[in-house]
Amino acid sequence: MMIDKALDKFIPFIEFLLDKRDELLVDPIRGELYCLMYVFKLYCMSNGYEVNNLEQDIFTYYIEEFNLISGQALKWDPIVEGNMNINSIIDMPKLNWINLAAIIILKHRLNNNNIGESIDSFEECHSPLKLINNNDSCHNQLLDLLDNPLFSKITVKISSDSIINSSFHCSYDDLDKLLRNQTARTKLSKEKIRLKVLEKPFYEVCNDSSHNQMLTSFCFSKKDYGNQSLTKQTYPDPSILHQKLYQYKNLMPQDIYNCSQTKVHYLAIVNNHTDHYLGDCSYLDTCHKMKTCRYLHYYTLIPSSNDSFDKENQLQLCKAHDYTIGECFTEYNRDIVPPQWINCDVRYLPFQILGKFAAIISDPAWDIHMSLPYGTCKDDELLALPMHELQDEGIILLWVTGRSIEIGRRALQKWGYHISDEMIWVKLNQLRRTIVTGRTGHWLNHSKEHLLVGIKGNPIWLNRKMDFDVVVSSTRETSRKPDEIYDIVERMVGIHSRKLEIFGRDHNTRPGWLTIGNQLQGTNIVEQEVKTKYESYIKNRK
Amino acid sequence: MLPNKYTYNKYGTRSNQTDRVTKRSMSDSKIGSSVSYSSTDLRSGPSSSSSNTSISSNSVNDTGKSKTQEVNEMDFCNHVLHNDARVRNDSSIKYIRNVNNPFEGYPKLSKLHQLKRSQMIKHAVKPYGVRIPTEKIIPTLYHWIEVYGIKFDVIMIGALVENQFILPILNNIPFHKLCSKPGFLFIWATTQKIQELTNLLNNDNFNKKFRRSEELIFLPIDKDSPYFPGESVDESILLFERQQWHCWMCITGTVRRATDNHLIHCNVDTDLQIESTTTNGKKNAVPDALYRVAENFSNSNRRLHIIPSKTGYDTPVKLRPGWIIMSPDVMINNFNPKQYKEELYSKSFVHYKASSSGNSMNSTQGNGNVYSNAHFLVPQTEEIEELRPKSPVIASKNG
Repeated sequence: MMIDKALDKFIPFIEFLLDKRDELLVDPIRGELYCLMYVFKLYCMSNGYEVNNLEQDIFTYYIEEFNLISGQALKWDPIVEGNMNINSIIDMPKLNWINLAAIIILKHRLNNNNIGESIDSFEECHSPLKLINNNDSCHNQLLDLLDNPLFSKITVKISSDSIINSSFHCSYDDLDKLLRNQTARTKLSKEKIRLKVLEKPFYEVCNDSSHNQMLTSFCFSKKDYGNQSLTKQTYPDPSILHQKLYQYKNLMPQDIYNCSQTKVHYLAIVNNHTDHYLGDCSYLDTCHKMKTCRYLHYYTLIPSSNDSFDKENQLQLCKAHDYTIGECFTEYNRDIVPPQWINCDVRYLPFQILGKFAAIISDPAWDIHMSLPYGTCKDDELLALPMHELQDEGIILLWVTGRSIEIGRRALQKWGYHISDEMIWVKLNQLRRTIVTGRTGHWLNHSKEHLLVGIKGNPIWLNRKMDFDVVVSSTRETSRKPDEIYDIVERMVGIHSRKLEIFGRDHNTRPGWLTIGNQLQGTNIVEQEVKTKYESYIKNRK
Repeated sequence: MLPNKYTYNKYGTRSNQTDRVTKRSMSDSKIGSSVSYSSTDLRSGPSSSSSNTSISSNSVNDTGKSKTQEVNEMDFCNHVLHNDARVRNDSSIKYIRNVNNPFEGYPKLSKLHQLKRSQMIKHAVKPYGVRIPTEKIIPTLYHWIEVYGIKFDVIMIGALVENQFILPILNNIPFHKLCSKPGFLFIWATTQKIQELTNLLNNDNFNKKFRRSEELIFLPIDKDSPYFPGESVDESILLFERQQWHCWMCITGTVRRATDNHLIHCNVDTDLQIESTTTNGKKNAVPDALYRVAENFSNSNRRLHIIPSKTGYDTPVKLRPGWIIMSPDVMINNFNPKQYKEELYSKSFVHYKASSSGNSMNSTQGNGNVYSNAHFLVPQTEEIEELRPKSPVIASKNG
């Protein structure tokens, strides 16, 4: 087979490519066409190949030809098809991949060798480089370079009137960001949840103290209240205060009135016994001694309620979606099971009668060596509960405090769970601040509580990453946990899944949940099978 | 007799065909009979079922109270869930109103913090850094112990970087010689390392020494924060988006919060620290807030911070007055054990332990002995003593 001698002119370039390989793609050449030319020139000179006045357009033509005979062995960014139409030096295509195998084959062909010879090295090289045009000053460039060594910038002077500023970064951060990106499933699930969950009214807090002062003076004027002490029991209804504000609307600046209709204001309650210099009460609205407490208390003035908000949103709620991964097929036409509860001593109730659950919440009364207004449970008794009967696959959430964090972790493991997360409830007070006073812990004050989350089996049907592992919520009665947790669980396992709460109280009963505990009022079972089994258990016990 | 096989599965449906038919007929009969659920039943729990006359007086009060309370309570989860689509990067932590000034509204507590801070600065040794490769940390600690008899009362380990949990180092730190009694350990971990940390603290090197006393949490303000923890890639998809750092506070030896007020001040800080929005996205290996918790709690002047591994270019390890910071990446390498000891003696209030009275009176002789038998303390003022929260001998301030 005869090879046209004209093709010999490509031999230096082939040698050049095989010698340099990846070096051409990475810093500082980065596959730039004009750089390639200079590097090639140098290579030719140092290796004794002849180069006759190699100019940019000749070189470009040379490469086009080369690509033709090599079967597009050089890949360009942007992709080049046929001729490289180079209008300006700035939008020249960049080399981003060299098909070494094709080049080795070509070399063998040109040398009249058999292709049968082994191709010993076949590597793919990718250029992860991203080029950004940047017009920063040299000073900033230098600072950037010092700031981040992984970030490089190069200014290349091509001719007197054209300068290319290019920079690239191949930082681990970018890679990290890519890995951390939300998956499509997470995005779609989140979008679906948004369409399904009713948005509740939310008011921001006004931080302008002059607003609060002005509103206080109108709402709690000396004229109306005189020397009368204001306590929780004698607080006026918010609607009365809003009427009052409407009445005095013209006496106050328009923006303050408008603010009172859109944001929450905390009105300082100054009684005769209040001492301003002491600051806020640690307990604020939960203070039991407001009649005598000398610290400051506040009245929360929320904007007058807007009933249309709920209805409007209700209409927007969408029940059916195209995206149904993780849903059961009867999702749209089923009613949620009404609240169910069983008053019982959890330690002696045979758990088989309850069936299996997708999610379990438990807030045991841990014996934490404190005098609490309710009976506590011994560690051993808790650990001995036959929890394995309640779930084959699913999640469990266990409230723990202080010493019991350790026991809780041990308990979950003993019951066959893998501890996947530790949720935090950030406890807020009336003023939406974290609780920092009041000696709430032994060594440090406690502003949060822990909720251990365990997983059993491999529940692929869980809707993951819908919420954060931090729940910010106000405190309520002693030991009452935020209801947000129920919503979070429902988002994870779905509203129709069977859900159980152990050691629940009356305020814990909820549609879709079965609550068991010894402080519940009576028993209410709706699911027929559970009812039958429970009744036969009761009958047999007697 | 109890049937030992359940037929309700976790989805609330039944698993096999025949059962489904019975379920259908059951639910039909349910609708036919009187077991229809009223809307009130759906919303409120047992308290609304009118049969209980005995608790009716209570429940009236309760519902009245809970109604006004519910109005005041905002559901941040719900708001963020919806708002996240409208506002980029929403976070319920942003709605907490005392993030930048945790003690807002509590003038006494602010004053106390200010006084303790200035007292600490006044008596702090100058900031020391020990730049040292990871594998030299343990030998260096032994060297300090053997040659200079150096001991510490507060030891912090780790930083807000994921790669710091290096078991060979943690298992080999010579706590028995390095840490005095009573001593305090602050050790950092991410959520996925908690189990390992639990195991670690139960092993011999730790357990005979340290009791886990508090679990501190540090929260970044939102997802853009430099402190927002990364997800480790080797895990399957997480249940939640993780937003927290854990720091366990452990105590060795005996301290009593009621009587040892020269050694510790309790309840000055809380177990939750939130990134301030004023940091301008600049990260430090450990946020100031957490150093402050350690400084406010222990009045001791000997503080060591070990950051076992490189923290990376984006996370500088800055020096802090009163601390020796040991890290492969610490900015300045200026530690000199001799100079440190001299400075410690001059800056601290040296309090000799009663048990070693024979030795301690003669301070010129057996310097090492005196060193290990003494407390090097930040002296506290009367004003601090008056302001600090105390154990309930007297009724609390609202009492």
